[in-house]
Amino acid sequence: MTKLITLCLILAFSTTAYAQEKGSVLIQNATVITVTNGDLEETDVLIRDGVIREIGKDLNAPRGVETVDATGKFVMPGIIDAHSHLNGVDINEARNPVTAEVTMEESVDPNEVGIYHALAGGATTIHLMHGSANVIGGQGETLKLRYGVSQEEMKFENAKRTIKFALGENPTRVHGQGNGVQPRTRMGVEQVVRGHFDEALDYKRKREAYLEAKAQYDRRGRGTPPVPVAENLRYEVLNDIIEGEIFVHCHSYRADEILMLMRVFNDYGIENYTFQHANEAFKVANELAKNGAMTSVFSDWWAYKFEVYYSTAYNASILNANGVVNSINSDNDQLLRTLNHEAAKVVRYGDTSVNDAIKMITLHPAIQLGIDDRVGSIEEGKHGDVVVWDGHPLSIYSKAEMTFVDGTKYFDLANDPDDMRIQINPGTDFDDGSNFRKIVDNRDEDACIQDTFILLQDQAQTHAHN
Amino acid sequence: MQGVFAQTTPAHALKNVTIHHADGSTTESATIVWRNGVIEAIGINAAIPFDAFEIDGGDSLHVYPGFIDGFSTLGSPSLPKSQDLPKLDDPGNPPYYRSGVQPERKPSELLTEDKNFEAIMKVGFTTAALYPDGYMLPGQVEAFYLSSSHNNVGLIKGPLGLAGSFDTAPGGWSSGAYPSTLMGVMAKFRQVMFDATALQQHIKYYEQNPEMPAPDRDRVLEAMFPLVNNSTPLFFEVDSKEHIERILKIQDEFGFNVVIVSGKEAYAKADELKRRNIPVLAGIDFTDMPKWYAEMKKEEEKDEAEVEQEEEAAEEEEISEEEQNYREKQLEAWKAEVTNIKKLMDSGVSVGFSSAGLELKDLSAKIEILLDEGGLTETDLVTLMSANTANILGLNRTHGSLERGKNASFSVFDKAMTEEKAKVLHSISNGIIHEFNGN
Repeated sequence: MTKLITLCLILAFSTTAYAQEKGSVLIQNATVITVTNGDLEETDVLIRDGVIREIGKDLNAPRGVETVDATGKFVMPGIIDAHSHLNGVDINEARNPVTAEVTMEESVDPNEVGIYHALAGGATTIHLMHGSANVIGGQGETLKLRYGVSQEEMKFENAKRTIKFALGENPTRVHGQGNGVQPRTRMGVEQVVRGHFDEALDYKRKREAYLEAKAQYDRRGRGTPPVPVAENLRYEVLNDIIEGEIFVHCHSYRADEILMLMRVFNDYGIENYTFQHANEAFKVANELAKNGAMTSVFSDWWAYKFEVYYSTAYNASILNANGVVNSINSDNDQLLRTLNHEAAKVVRYGDTSVNDAIKMITLHPAIQLGIDDRVGSIEEGKHGDVVVWDGHPLSIYSKAEMTFVDGTKYFDLANDPDDMRIQINPGTDFDDGSNFRKIVDNRDEDACIQDTFILLQDQAQTHAHN
Repeated sequence: MQGVFAQTTPAHALKNVTIHHADGSTTESATIVWRNGVIEAIGINAAIPFDAFEIDGGDSLHVYPGFIDGFSTLGSPSLPKSQDLPKLDDPGNPPYYRSGVQPERKPSELLTEDKNFEAIMKVGFTTAALYPDGYMLPGQVEAFYLSSSHNNVGLIKGPLGLAGSFDTAPGGWSSGAYPSTLMGVMAKFRQVMFDATALQQHIKYYEQNPEMPAPDRDRVLEAMFPLVNNSTPLFFEVDSKEHIERILKIQDEFGFNVVIVSGKEAYAKADELKRRNIPVLAGIDFTDMPKWYAEMKKEEEKDEAEVEQEEEAAEEEEISEEEQNYREKQLEAWKAEVTNIKKLMDSGVSVGFSSAGLELKDLSAKIEILLDEGGLTETDLVTLMSANTANILGLNRTHGSLERGKNASFSVFDKAMTEEKAKVLHSISNGIIHEFNGN
């Protein structure tokens, strides 16, 4: 019986979830990598109620505010991953080439322990994306890694709306070759985009005309009533894209298709967009810069399918040197934990400046997600999303020691329990439950085609992992 | 399917029985008289009419109000196997039935033979709300008197609401269709609501102005009208806290009433459910008790002499700190499941019962857990399965308690139902006696 009582006591006092809160902390005497204002030596950062209030020397801690002695350490803005599928319930609604109406906002798993692993790598914000099975996929959701809160509380408040597009092999394999519907070719991909934008504009005209006629008829009560035009979720979202309310993030590899989409977007007046992966973007860096298009690339990963053979580790550096706002993303739960290394490779390969490389995992993804007014650099008035590193964050030897989101500490290396799962299945025995997550995955495919292998049966049988 | 089942005798009387009421009180040496499916008299002094067929309980039988299964696919035609569905030419635009949108289906038109009709009566159920097995919008929910033959299962009340879940469209490798994901189901649900709204508007306009183009009538969309008009609830089968949050979000968008079905983690949203006045037809299909915990409990029940003997025989089990930590989490998660109903009741949420996929053979074991570990008393249990469920289904005027004027739906057990090996001897549903003789 004593055993039982002890257990019950433990249960009564154990808390597995943090409450979402805006925290306060004074980090003292660090090298502060501001990103926008150089590196400041022996500097303090005061975060109050989730917001960076003051950056300076010898700041006093207000009453009740915890201090962290960061002498000899580095403070950097939290890493932002512009391309993640970390905690999606589902990733691909792959049964139609256009699924603008679905949203990852409704596919968030807040209990995924990988969120905690990402925090341990200094990440504080991710762009949870729909996959790349469809030409126009689902909407994305920008999340703060507030581990332990609800799906609603994970959302980055008032972040720009985003949506996934995809060009090339993925949509043509899934839909054209897998299901026998358009698009089967890259030409078809373009026509799917144009066709749907045109349909959406047509819908908008009809819907507005109907609503106007309906209002008139309902008011007057005479004349001939209009034939109702149902609200259409898909076309509404497509119109929001055309009207600039949604930033497009487009999965792409080849230079020709990147140029194609820029032409299409110019035709429809779409201005805010980022090419994801974009391994051949370096070939069209000038054109990208001229159009104000942005890119979010891997540092050095390619050759996992035919359209990704022509690649270079200089991609990010070339884009950066040509004035393209470029970020380095993970598209992978493991790489998300070491995005600082990915940024460091840009310095190593292309001799990009350290500050520009850091921008690629902080300020630049923030710009691409429309949240750069609040995160991405250490500035007074921005969110208290900061990470304390024991050495320079681009050093392979450095570790994130503490990760703060909104001034609240969500990761502390000094207090890092073995099992940080929020949710476990009570039917799982210890022997099975302890190996709870495969952190390191083989990267045979881009993660954004997950859930769609069943649709690629012909290919799957012949080239299982290419 | 429904008929007048007055058998040869106009009235029945069951005397010398212990009656367990939905409120937990009991009446011993009581009599219950019913005629034409309605209770005419009940209590110690109930007069037995001259024409009544009398059954003497011999003071050993226990009568309970008929339990009500609040949400079940009993008698539903079985679904075609996913792999048997033909490949669609355009899986992105499937016909409604292939996307799982079938709100027009009524169990009263579809019931088929199901051996569980009798099986469920043998464990004390006399009444059930049924819906057809399906996917995101599988059909309507209707209330039935149970009978051991599906031909005699009688409709009590037409649509109580529409059934729903986040189930994706059926189909296998090559035959799947949109929506194939949770987010797709949510989007599809909204689109169906929008399309139904437009059609309803069109029908209304057309009635006023026949000179305009006629609407394309559609029985699927038309079956959604009650939901569009917020005149019927959506019985939504959902377990996780996150899924409950998702259906509440949809509720906010459209405004209809929701009944949560199954609701394993409903306790985590108890305050919000209470605030929104959302009832829960809770399932009890709990995860099995962790093995180590079951063993620990067994140990504790043994007397000391036995323990000493065993200690000599076997060494004390040693476990690592990591495993101990895991066990604590595991037990916490399991306890949360089994105390769900109790927590909901304590928070003032209206809780009833639904089998929600539970296998009948597991029912008594799950009920035992509910009583031993779930914090429920026997009274709570009877109330949950009778009066509370009747209230949620809107059947409380006729069902859910044993009173004069209520429907004669009750079960006669050979001993108190919570005693070991208690059996239903007779099940009376809408006044019709089904005899099981303890088999």
